[in-house]
Amino acid sequence: MRPMIVLALGLALATLPRHASASAEAKPPVTVPPSAGPPPPYRAPYEPTHDEEVLQDVPAISDPAVARMTSLRRAFGAAPHDLPTALSLASAYIDYGRQVGDAHYAGYAEAVIAPWLVAQPVPSKVLVTEAIILQYRHQFPEARQRLHEALNADPGSAQGWLTLATLDMVQGDYAAAGKECVQVTSAADVATGLACSATLRSYTGHARQSLALLDQVQLGAATQSAGYRAWVHGLSAEAAERLGDWPLAETHYQAALKLVPRDNFLLVAYADFLLDRSRPREVLGLLANSVQSDTAFLRIVLAQAALKSPDTARYTWIMAARFAALTERGSDFFGREQARFALELQHDPQAALDLARKNWQRQREPWDTRLLLAAAVAAQEPRAVTDVLEFRRRVKLEDPVIDGLAQELRPGADTMAISQP
Amino acid sequence: MRSIEWTRLTSAGFWLTLLLWAANAGAHSASDAYLNLSIGAPGLGGPVIEGQWDIALRDLAFVLDLDADGDGRLTWGEVHRRWPDIVSYAYRHLRIDGGAGNACTIEPSRQLIDDHADGAYAALFFAVHCAQKPQRLTLDYSLFFAIDPSHRGIFVLQSGPATTTAVLSPDNASLHLRL
Repeated sequence: MRPMIVLALGLALATLPRHASASAEAKPPVTVPPSAGPPPPYRAPYEPTHDEEVLQDVPAISDPAVARMTSLRRAFGAAPHDLPTALSLASAYIDYGRQVGDAHYAGYAEAVIAPWLVAQPVPSKVLVTEAIILQYRHQFPEARQRLHEALNADPGSAQGWLTLATLDMVQGDYAAAGKECVQVTSAADVATGLACSATLRSYTGHARQSLALLDQVQLGAATQSAGYRAWVHGLSAEAAERLGDWPLAETHYQAALKLVPRDNFLLVAYADFLLDRSRPREVLGLLANSVQSDTAFLRIVLAQAALKSPDTARYTWIMAARFAALTERGSDFFGREQARFALELQHDPQAALDLARKNWQRQREPWDTRLLLAAAVAAQEPRAVTDVLEFRRRVKLEDPVIDGLAQELRPGADTMAISQP
Repeated sequence: MRSIEWTRLTSAGFWLTLLLWAANAGAHSASDAYLNLSIGAPGLGGPVIEGQWDIALRDLAFVLDLDADGDGRLTWGEVHRRWPDIVSYAYRHLRIDGGAGNACTIEPSRQLIDDHADGAYAALFFAVHCAQKPQRLTLDYSLFFAIDPSHRGIFVLQSGPATTTAVLSPDNASLHLRL
């Protein structure tokens, strides 16, 4: 077995025990009680002794996605003024970065389109690409502005409408998203429009319809790429989770991961599913190769904590250090992860409530709502979330976990039917 | 592996997967470098200015193709054989100046590996020598900005008990420091 956690953590944690579970060659883990303050896991700058020592995992050229990026990069180098080549390279970067959960590639994409961003007027496809990068960084108002500009110039841009619909779904403006899905259908094709409205329905109390629509989309997608089919499976898994149909959700997660085995978004979503099902050991196996992604790393720490591993304090410290590094550089787009970290690992409900509230002002996917309600329960502050409960009721958000939290916050006042398979 | 046809820019399926997942994925692990300057006690030739510049190996691997065998595992051998390229690339993107008539030079001293929470970094150590004892320093930083405008240089100046910090970005690439 490739010592996956060993390798990837080895780079960051040279002095840490070499595997999540104690192995023969590992140094005995040093247990640091949380109250003792952060353990110092790093050694001073050093010179490795062996040439073969692996310092850092980097994208391997044997990976077809990396090979494609490399050849597009070469093509762009040869034709730096060619917009279609630039857009192809930018989207290859964005897609790869999204797959592996690495924001560097959004930066590389930004550099590729930079010359066209100062053109007058900015080509609409460049505006849409920039919007996608901004959305990826959770700079939602800026992304929205670019999309409006792009769609003003090119009202037939399926890409633009779909991005805007996604943005509105993320922010919980389902009425606007519904209109944009209609535009997607006319600008793109029926299947894409169906996928758009199916996603929307899973957020608004029609998860069962959503599943039926997604099944239809999947049936017609036999000739589509693995990425496309995995995406539909991922949406179906989420819709099944809304209904509390865990076996169906798991079937879809596994089908999706069979198609795109290292997709960071899917891995993290499935890890959350496993954590919810009290199966943390499987999370460690699932994410063993994903420690560089901060979203994945948080789930590894949560799994370690659930397993009461002696390494939990150190992993928690490293997660905190990663958040600190993000704060230092002026990023604040990791609100959901930070709120969860405060709630479940730092056991600080008040801090979690503040962070989850700030995050919810920006994005309102079911996980954002769930975290804010969970923080309010932990902090015993039901009055802090009356508007959130009202939002849940108004949009008819289905989710057994959220239903349970709402019950706790408003005992007796909850009249929503709890959907069960 | 996915087989999206990148050339079909106008097709409906283009980017579809990327789009509807984009917001969920979260953006993390962007590129940072850590630049520390410390001004020591005055020596024979004025104050000694020393620096340590930590640059992520994965960023250097991207611009300099450090993974010689392309196997996805950057080894110490692959790094130390390219120290000259790494050093020359890095210091091309940092200028330190003592003001009019007081040119300063950056003298690299040694290179080591430094572990950070998000991976291994090259730690470049250097000294700054100026013609005269500088009253102020201007620092111009441009590492990776041309290939990744989201790169940030986290700058810390330690001068006796005083600490100055700044985040270097394409919009804030020059610092004017009073010593």
